[in-house]
Amino acid sequence: MGTGGTQTKQRRWFVNSVVVVGAFILVANPLYLSSYGEGLMTRFLIFALFAMSYDIVFGYAGLLSLGHAAFFGAGGYTVALLKLHFGVDLFWISAPFGLLVAVLTAALFGIIALRASGIYFLLVTFALGQMLFSLAWNVKWLNSKGMQGITGITLPDLAIPGFTLDSTWYYYMVLIFFVISGMLLYRLVHSPYGLALMGIREDVSRMEAVGYNTWLYKYIAFVISGAFAGIAGILFTYYNFFVSPNHLGIATSFLPMVMTIMGGLGTLFGPVIGAAVFIFVENYASIFAPQRWPLILGGLFVISIMFARDGIGVYLWRLLNKVTQGYGSIKN
Amino acid sequence: MNDLSFSVNAGERLAIIGPNGAGKTSLFNLINGQFSATAGQIYFFGENVTDLPTHRRAYLGMARAFQIISLLMKLTVLDNALLTIHGTKPHRYKMLHPVKEFKDVFEKTKHSLKTLDLWEKRDELVKNLAYGEQRRLEIGLGLAMQPKLLLLDEPSAGLTREESSDIIEIIKNLGEGITALIVDHDMDVVFEVAERIIVLHYGQIIADGPPESIQNDQMVREIYMGAEECLDPVNI
Repeated sequence: MGTGGTQTKQRRWFVNSVVVVGAFILVANPLYLSSYGEGLMTRFLIFALFAMSYDIVFGYAGLLSLGHAAFFGAGGYTVALLKLHFGVDLFWISAPFGLLVAVLTAALFGIIALRASGIYFLLVTFALGQMLFSLAWNVKWLNSKGMQGITGITLPDLAIPGFTLDSTWYYYMVLIFFVISGMLLYRLVHSPYGLALMGIREDVSRMEAVGYNTWLYKYIAFVISGAFAGIAGILFTYYNFFVSPNHLGIATSFLPMVMTIMGGLGTLFGPVIGAAVFIFVENYASIFAPQRWPLILGGLFVISIMFARDGIGVYLWRLLNKVTQGYGSIKN
Repeated sequence: MNDLSFSVNAGERLAIIGPNGAGKTSLFNLINGQFSATAGQIYFFGENVTDLPTHRRAYLGMARAFQIISLLMKLTVLDNALLTIHGTKPHRYKMLHPVKEFKDVFEKTKHSLKTLDLWEKRDELVKNLAYGEQRRLEIGLGLAMQPKLLLLDEPSAGLTREESSDIIEIIKNLGEGITALIVDHDMDVVFEVAERIIVLHYGQIIADGPPESIQNDQMVREIYMGAEECLDPVNI
């Protein structure tokens, strides 16, 4: 995508209207959705953020990481532990701490993992994630009494006098985080840094020869990616009222990977679409086929790779291009 | 490399020739930093760069056009150009402003692409350009880096006669501020642009001097035996 070239007016108009309509729907949702539907939308936004964060490290930097849940879970566990052991409900303490832990974890893991490349990088990230999973599973301090994981999490306290969060307000809170994060990530990928990252994904030695410290770029991408995954993890813990070792391990790590690949790597809207498809199929398929729904999801993934290899989001984008070109020629 | 040692004068046009496997590209990789030297030192305008990584050397003023075109194929001409020109600028780390906001780089890029006659094709993916255009773009972008040293690795490979003469013109018009090291098999190109020629064979320098003396050197003729005619550009 890069600088996006010199886009036609029609295409820009169409994209803008999609964004406006989408924003309107997202804001108006609670008016017509049941609380179950609202919960589903909250879940979608959280995973869309998680997937977007993964797109930075995989889609843009080209680093196939299999341990992204480590940062998701690190953020979530920090919030949960602060509640469990210190009774902290205040969002303005828990969340910054959670983000800090996620960033530090990514900073540390990045230094270790980036000593390797290709498949070895993948294995190292996997191992680091599983290491955290194992810690969470075994260390007593990291669990509620007699349980696997930490329960008893409630919606956060925003310390606004006379105001308590309920699930509808929480939906809006998540929406705000999603929008702000999306905007920041959008700026990031369209900045000189973002363009360089794409160049590094394509050809490391050329980028080195042209003056870029490619290791540093990859490291920064890894850490930024981890930070936004941490934010998603924090939001998820409050949504779930519960955090478990699974949220640190491969079971969760592969989710943003599937969503991003399905939706379209290296585009920020792709992961959002991938997350939407995944969450909604997961939901409806598990209603109609309670034992078989992973099969349906898996099948969908395979089909999307076969027919829309660059992702469903990219496929739709290309369709849009064809339509606007056709419209343009009809107009003329 | 086999006990290899030489120096290049600023502003010189030095060609390095030799049979395949002589170590010409390896030599460029050493100068550029893509290979680490196991022994020996490399000095660049008085500074010891032996342990510096490639990107630091680029920052100090080395630019390279690769033997196999190494542009970013899946990105557009414009993106490739922007990336190259940003490469040694401090704001290449900027994360919160769109690329297009950096007007000075954008203007420079536009100017470079127009000089290369590729501005019209700026939104084309590089992989869709003709081979000659890709070559022209790669060398042109190397120049746009305003390097002190330009390493040209087989710039005329795969080009037609006409395209090769375009490249010759570009090299001739480089200006005194740029030193050029050229590896090429096309003796027309070599004898047109080189002020000095080094002949490499199995990682060793076997001849070093102005074109006329190289042409007449006995050992050089022996090595090129069987292709002796090639050393004499008039006979092609």
